Amino acid sequence: MTEWSAALHRLWSAAVVISSREQLAELVLPPLQELPGVRAVWGLRHAVQGDTVLAYRWKGLPLTGDLRDLVERLAPGEAGPARVIGAGDELREQGVTRVVAARFDQPGEAGGTILVALDDTGDAALVGRCLEQVIEVTHEAVRRLSEARVDQEQQVRDALLAEASLQMDAVLDTEQTMYRVPRMAVPAIAEGCLVFVYEDGKPVLRSAVHVDMRLLGRLLHDPDAVQSLAEPGEHALELRARGRVIGMLVFLFDRPAGRIPPPAFLRDLAARAALAIDNSTLYEQRRQEVARMQQHLLPTRLPRAGGLELAASYTVGDRVLEVGGDFYDVVVRDDGVVAAVIGDVCGRGVDAAALTGMARHTLTALLQEGLSPERALTRLNARLRLDGSWRFITAAVALLRPHDDGYAVQWTSAGHPAPVVMRGAGGASRGSGGGVPLGVLDSPQFGSSTLRLSRHDTLVMFTDGLTESRDGDGQMFEQDGLARALDRLGGVPVQTLVDELSTSAEASDDIALLALRVRAEP
Amino acid sequence: MTDLVLVVEDSDEDIEAIARAIGRSHPEVRLEFLRSGNGVLPRLNDTGQARPGLVLLDLNMPGEGGLDVIRRVRADAVFEALRVVVFTSSENQAEAEACYAAGADSYIYKPINFALFQSVLAQTLDYWRSREPNVTQMVVPPPGESSAQA
Repeated sequence: MTEWSAALHRLWSAAVVISSREQLAELVLPPLQELPGVRAVWGLRHAVQGDTVLAYRWKGLPLTGDLRDLVERLAPGEAGPARVIGAGDELREQGVTRVVAARFDQPGEAGGTILVALDDTGDAALVGRCLEQVIEVTHEAVRRLSEARVDQEQQVRDALLAEASLQMDAVLDTEQTMYRVPRMAVPAIAEGCLVFVYEDGKPVLRSAVHVDMRLLGRLLHDPDAVQSLAEPGEHALELRARGRVIGMLVFLFDRPAGRIPPPAFLRDLAARAALAIDNSTLYEQRRQEVARMQQHLLPTRLPRAGGLELAASYTVGDRVLEVGGDFYDVVVRDDGVVAAVIGDVCGRGVDAAALTGMARHTLTALLQEGLSPERALTRLNARLRLDGSWRFITAAVALLRPHDDGYAVQWTSAGHPAPVVMRGAGGASRGSGGGVPLGVLDSPQFGSSTLRLSRHDTLVMFTDGLTESRDGDGQMFEQDGLARALDRLGGVPVQTLVDELSTSAEASDDIALLALRVRAEP
Repeated sequence: MTDLVLVVEDSDEDIEAIARAIGRSHPEVRLEFLRSGNGVLPRLNDTGQARPGLVLLDLNMPGEGGLDVIRRVRADAVFEALRVVVFTSSENQAEAEACYAAGADSYIYKPINFALFQSVLAQTLDYWRSREPNVTQMVVPPPGESSAQA
């Protein structure tokens, strides 16, 4: 028995460090097979619930075919000391006279039975004692594996929640958020995951991921099957955010029941997903509202101005959720004089928006009535001072009068960036700015200059979002980028010019651009 | 068949993590590493070596990219049974769709956390291995034929 003691010692050492149940049979069956009079050692792995045998393992006589049913019938139904069972005719034909069997059960885990088949020389009492010791080792190994697995699963779930939260919070785009939820879940916690969002009271599939892409492809081709998945159930969880059910999060499992995460975890994941989806939806709604509001603050179309081609663009700064204060407009007086207005109310938001609307309408109405730019700007300044607004406005008016075969431009600036004149023949130069922003002084101060535009020349007016935007190296666009862009854009259609200019700069602030080009023929 | 997995990956950190993760969860699985997509077809066509049952593929590699590898593998009917699993940290949905269109079987997220990383790989291997006949790890053995090992 010294040999057995040594074998048992080796078994203990090896069994407690294995990482997978698959390794267990190879460890625990051979020592029993080495005992005198043993014809075979058979191992059965039982389902956690029910009588199903999940796996058959053996040493000696192969546990295949009809022998499986026979051995399953011999196996004790419950855990306990080793039993000695007399062999029937089928086994006796194989030289087996008795079978010694014992079983262990571990809550939540597949139980196991080991049966040792003896010939007539075998010592059943000795084998029974050895078997009980092996069962003890096996049970302990399974218990440790179970503990390690529970720990591992908990770690995975914690990590998933942390990583999923990070991923979901990193985007404010609804589509991306709805894609990231199932992408994170599959296959760590489920084989498939679908996101439905309620639209007009009906669940609409917005995102789906499965470990088997082709299986998913086939599923998605069957709308009825997809729709039936959105029925609430154990694995179809409501996406509930801010007291509303916004959709369903559906998990598809194709794994043993014991590997399905607990309902509390799935609910937790669904709750986080719901909040992330709802946040991004609200954010998008807000952005759309801002974009609509912004459009209301700008002219829906520019007027026709005889000998001039006009183009404008408005670029909303990077991911801002407030209405910006840039504005532009053009009016054509009855005498053919064109007044182009550009301005920028400092700050953002509803207050700035209200002021933006007021400033644009005040200036254009007064200019249309024939007031000079200085007087129109002075009236606006007086209005701002009267209201006691702390906000100031930079603004400029270009008054274009037909002159020779082009235009004479009277530029009046209240602290606004100087315009650019692009010559039709090539080259560009900066006008002069000057003046003090409106709303600062009781008696406004303006910068005034005169420019000449010939045929094909273009006057480009803009807000400081263009010149003060920075490139990847932190360089201001005004320093170098503007000149390069103007060089590149010589001769392009005037709408292309404003569109390209606004995208040349990496806008962190809003950019308003207004360009007026003298036509070849009046 | 998926006892041999071909890993196509150029990052040293990811190679180490994949080896460690699969070594723990599936010690019986043999891993073979290629550092670029260029070597995949020659390796698969090498009849002198065992053919892998699954290719674990990074998408962004120098030389031939992962998407081209998928297309070339899928162009040859001989490799129809080969599972192609894209393992990437990308969140680009269009890329996932392109991989599916090219014939990938799985497009799997590559997590940062190692426990999650290991779990994702283990679940992916379990899923595809359970879909092969005569695999001992199957939960319920197919009726009739033995799934046992001696």
